[in-house]
Amino acid sequence: MPQMGVSVAEGTVAEWRKQPGDRVEADEPICVISTDKIDTDVPAPASGVLVEILVPEGETVDVGTVLARIEVEGSEALGVGRWALEDGTDAKPNGGKRYSPVVARMAAQHDLDLEAIKGTGRQGRVTKKDVLAFLEHADEAPMHIESPYRPEPEPQSPTPKAQSPKPGALSRMRRSIGEHMKRSLETAATCTTWIEADMSRIEAGREQLGLTALPLVARCAIAALREHPQLNAWLEGEAYTVHDAVHLGIAVSLGDEGLIVPVIHDAQELSAEGLGRRIKDAAKRARSGELRPDEVRGGTFTITNPGQYGSIMATPVINQPQVAILDLEAVVKRPVVIDDAIAIRPMTIFGLSWDHRALDGVLAAQFLASLRRHVEAWDGG
Amino acid sequence: MATETARSDATGHLTRDDRVGLLRYMLLMRGIEERAMTLYRQGKVPGSFYDGFGQEAVSAGAAFAMGPKDRLCVLHRDLAAHLVRGVTPTRILGQYMGRAGGVTGGRDGNVHFGDWQLGCVGMVSMLPDMMLVATGMAMAFKLRHEQRCALTWFGDGSTSRGDFHEAMNWAGVQKLPVIFVLENNQFAYSTPLEAQFAVDPVHRAESYGFPGWSVDGNDVEAVFEATREARERALAGEGPTLIACETMRMHGHAAHDDMKYVDKERLEEWRRKDPIERQERVLEGLGVDVAAVRAEVAAAIEAGVEEALAMPMPDGATATAGVFCEGEANVLGDGQAPWSGVS
Amino acid sequence: MPTMTYLQAISDGLREEMRDDERVFCMGEDIGVFGGAFKVTDGFIDEFGPDRVMDTPLAESGIVGTAVGAAVVGLRPVCEMQFSDFISCGFDQLVNVAGKMHYRQGLAVPITVRLPTGGGFSGGPFHSQNPEAWFMHSPGIKIVAPATPEDAKGLLISAIRDPNPVLFCEHKHLYRRIKGDVEAGAYATPMRARVARDGDDLVVITYGAMVHTALEATEELEGVRVLDLRSLVPLDEEAILDSVRACAKVVVVDEANELCAAGAQVAALIAERGFEDLDGPVVRVATPNVPIPFSPPLEQAVLPSVDRVKEACVELLAY
Repeated sequence: MPQMGVSVAEGTVAEWRKQPGDRVEADEPICVISTDKIDTDVPAPASGVLVEILVPEGETVDVGTVLARIEVEGSEALGVGRWALEDGTDAKPNGGKRYSPVVARMAAQHDLDLEAIKGTGRQGRVTKKDVLAFLEHADEAPMHIESPYRPEPEPQSPTPKAQSPKPGALSRMRRSIGEHMKRSLETAATCTTWIEADMSRIEAGREQLGLTALPLVARCAIAALREHPQLNAWLEGEAYTVHDAVHLGIAVSLGDEGLIVPVIHDAQELSAEGLGRRIKDAAKRARSGELRPDEVRGGTFTITNPGQYGSIMATPVINQPQVAILDLEAVVKRPVVIDDAIAIRPMTIFGLSWDHRALDGVLAAQFLASLRRHVEAWDGG
Repeated sequence: MATETARSDATGHLTRDDRVGLLRYMLLMRGIEERAMTLYRQGKVPGSFYDGFGQEAVSAGAAFAMGPKDRLCVLHRDLAAHLVRGVTPTRILGQYMGRAGGVTGGRDGNVHFGDWQLGCVGMVSMLPDMMLVATGMAMAFKLRHEQRCALTWFGDGSTSRGDFHEAMNWAGVQKLPVIFVLENNQFAYSTPLEAQFAVDPVHRAESYGFPGWSVDGNDVEAVFEATREARERALAGEGPTLIACETMRMHGHAAHDDMKYVDKERLEEWRRKDPIERQERVLEGLGVDVAAVRAEVAAAIEAGVEEALAMPMPDGATATAGVFCEGEANVLGDGQAPWSGVS
Repeated sequence: MPTMTYLQAISDGLREEMRDDERVFCMGEDIGVFGGAFKVTDGFIDEFGPDRVMDTPLAESGIVGTAVGAAVVGLRPVCEMQFSDFISCGFDQLVNVAGKMHYRQGLAVPITVRLPTGGGFSGGPFHSQNPEAWFMHSPGIKIVAPATPEDAKGLLISAIRDPNPVLFCEHKHLYRRIKGDVEAGAYATPMRARVARDGDDLVVITYGAMVHTALEATEELEGVRVLDLRSLVPLDEEAILDSVRACAKVVVVDEANELCAAGAQVAALIAERGFEDLDGPVVRVATPNVPIPFSPPLEQAVLPSVDRVKEACVELLAY
C-alpha cells in the first residue's frame, strides 16, 4: 500500500485491474487505491506475471502492507506497494565471476584479492596455476608502483623494536631529493586539480594485454598532451619551451632510499605494450642502480603512481623544470550513478599538479578532461 | 538304482539311550519353538518366525546319524539339527530375539544361523543355494580322501530351482559324499506339490546317477536309519543319496500365515501321525519314563529363556564391522555327535 | 627379470600359489584337459592333476556355490568364469552366499573368482562386459583389476591369499597385447592404487585396459598424471584424494557402462571430500549405457577411445 501523502496512514483497494495469472508490464496500472475519497492508479513496479493478490477489493490496509506478488523473470516475486527495492538477491557477491573451489580456498588462505589476478583459463577464468604464479611473485618488490589498489603484502622482516632516539643524518640521496622538492615548491606556483575517471575499460584492456594500468594511462596521457601541448613544456626562469616529443618521466620508488625518475624518451612513439616494457625495464634498472645519467634527464612530463597502498589523492610536487605532473592513485570500486541507476565501477582520481606561472586552471582541467575521455574510451589503441 | 522305501530298523544301530536321545531332541525343538512363538507374539522376537512343527523327526533323525567331522547345511525347519550338534537353547532363543549373545549376534534373524564352530553353515533365504555349498564341502572331502560327508536339508519347493539341479547333477557326476535330505512337507508356502512338479523328486535322483529313497518323515528312527545308510554309502565312495522324507508342515509357512489353504481333514490325519507322540509310545513300550524326559526338557528350555532374556541387544555402533575377514580364514569346526554308534 | 605377457603373468601367479599351497586348486569349464578357453591353465593338469585342475559341469552357480563349500572346509578354490559375463549365472551364490557369510555367520569364505572381462575385439554383448559395478555394490566382495603383467601376477596372488571372496578382473584385450617385466617367484601386490605416470596438471583416474588407453591418449600432453586404481574394493580413497590435491583437475575413465560404474563412485568421493582442491568439474569418459555391440564401427563408437580421452583432457586442461 503506497503512501499517497505525508499524513496518509492507510488506503483501500478500490479495484484490481489485473488478475492472478495476468502478465503485467512495469508502470502499467495494476490496481486502483482509494484514500480520502481520491482514487489513484497504482503502476506495477516491474514486468512479470501477477501471481497472487493478498488484499482483495474493498479492503482497507495500512501503508506498507503488501498488496500482491508479481513473479519477475529471473528473480524472486516483488511486492506491489512496497516501493523500496528489496535486496538484489540475484547479484553475485563477486560481480558474477566464478572461482573454482581450490582457487577460492587459496585466496582465503593467502588473503588474496582474486580481482587482481589475471586469469589464463577459459574466458579469463582464474586458475589454480594463476594463483600459484601470483603467489610466487607476491614477495618480489613491485617493479613499479601500480594500481589498482590491493592489500600490501606482509612485511618480510619483523619491525625493529622502538629504540631511544639517536642522532642521525639523512642520506645524500635523500638530501638531494629534498632539495629538489623544496626548490620546486619555492619556484613554481604549484596548484593541483583533480578529476574522477571510470577505469573499466582500462582494467579490461590491461588484463587483455597482461599489463598494469600505468602504461595504458600513460598512453592516454600522451594523447591528452598532444591535445594540450602547453603541459608538455619547460619553464626555466622566463624561458618557456613547449616540446613536441613527449619524454615521459616515471617516478620509481627505491624504498627507503627515496625515489628516482627514469625518462622514456619519445614515449609518443610507443604503444601501451611498448610503454609497459620500457617502464618495467627502467624500474628494474633503477632499483639495481643501473640507470645511465641520460636516462634520468630530459623529461618533459612526469607520471607518479603510488596507488598500491590505497591512497586516493595527493598533491605531487612538479619535477623541475617541467610545468606539470600527473598522479595516479588507487583504483577503487565505487557505486556510481549511470543513467540514474546505481552501478559499480572501478574509479580513480587523477591529480594534476601544475605551475600557475605557465598555465591556468582551465587548461589543467581541460587536460584532465581529455585524459579522462581517452581513459574511458580505451579500446586497445 | 530303483527307489527304495526304508523302514525303522532301530534295534540294529540304536541303543536305548540313543532312542531316548532322539525323543529328547525332538522335544527340545518343539518346546523351544513353542516358547519362541509366545515370545514372538509378545513382541520380543523381531521380524518373522518359522517353525518345523510336526517335522521334528526329519532333522533330529538325520542329524543324529552324523559324525563329528561331518558338515551340515541346516535349514529353517531343522532346529533339532542345531541341538544335536551342540547349540544351546539359550543361544537359539537369543538368536531369535536378535540379542548380542545369539548365534549370529543379531546379524541375521530367526533360523538363518549356523554355528561354524560346531560344523554348521548358516542358511541363506534362497534355500536351495545351500545344496551347492554342501556339494562343495563333499567335493573337498573327496579331493582330500577324507572319511566324512556333507549333508543338507531342503524342501519340496527348492526342487524347482536351478540350484537343485546343479547340485544333484554335480554331486552325481563327481560321485560325491553328500546326503540330500528332502523334507517334503507337502507345501511350499501356499503352493501344493501338484503345482510344484510333475515328477516326484525322489524319482529324479536316478537321472542324476544315484538312489532316491522314500522315508516316513515322521518316523524318527526310520529317518535316522536311512541317513546312516546313506552315510555309509558316502564314506565307501559310492556317491550321493537323496532321502525323500514324507512329512507335513503342521503350522503356516511362518507365524503370520494362517494356512487357510490346507484342508483341515488332511491336517488331522497328519496330526495323528505326530512324530513325537509316536516316539513316546515306542519308548513307553520300552519302559522309559517319558514324563521325566519331558520335564527335563521343559526345565532346560525355561532356563534357556531366562538366560536369553537377560542378554543385551547388540550395539548399533558395531553394525558395520565384520564385513570382511581380517586375519586368517577360519574353517568349520567339529560338532557334537551323540549317537553311540558314530564312527 | 623375465618379460611376460599379461596372460603369462596370470598363469605364473596361479602356478606359484598352487605350488606353494596345497589347498589351492582351480575349477572351471574347460580349464583342465583343454587348458582353458584362453589357455591360462595350459599344462596345469599335467603338473597338478585333474583333482586340482578341475573340469566342472557347465554350471556357474555350481562353480561358485561348491567353491564356497570347499572354502569353508579349508580349501582355496580359484574359480574361472569362462567370460566375466557369465558371472550373472552365479550372481546369487556370489552375492548372497559368499559375500554375506562372514558378516552374518562369522565364517570366512576364501574364494577367488577369475573373470576374463572387457571388450574391444567384436565379442558382442555377452562376451565384452565389465560387470564389476554389480559387485562393488554388494558388501563382502573384494574386486581387483590389474592393468600390467606385473600387477596381474601380484594381485592374483593377493587375491588367492585373501581370506575373503575376491573377484579378479583380468582384461581379455590385454592378454597378449601387453608385455612387461615380471619378477620371478611369488609376491603379493597390495590392493591399492598406483601412479602409472606422474604429472601435476591433471589426473586421469582409471583401471584395467583403460589405463593403457589413458597413457596413450596423454602421451603428448604435458603434466598429465595417470592413476591406476588396481583395486575397486577396497577403493584407494587416499590415493585418489592425493591426486586431486596435486592436480586439481580430474578425468575419470570407465570402460564399463557409465551409469553407476566404478568411476561414478570415484567422482562422488571427489565431489564430497576433494571439493576444495578442484580447479574444474570432474569429467567422466565412459561407455554409454548400451549393450556392447558386435560390429567394429559400432563397438569402437562406444568404448572410450584414445581420441575421446585425449579430447576430454585437452578441454579440461584449458578450463
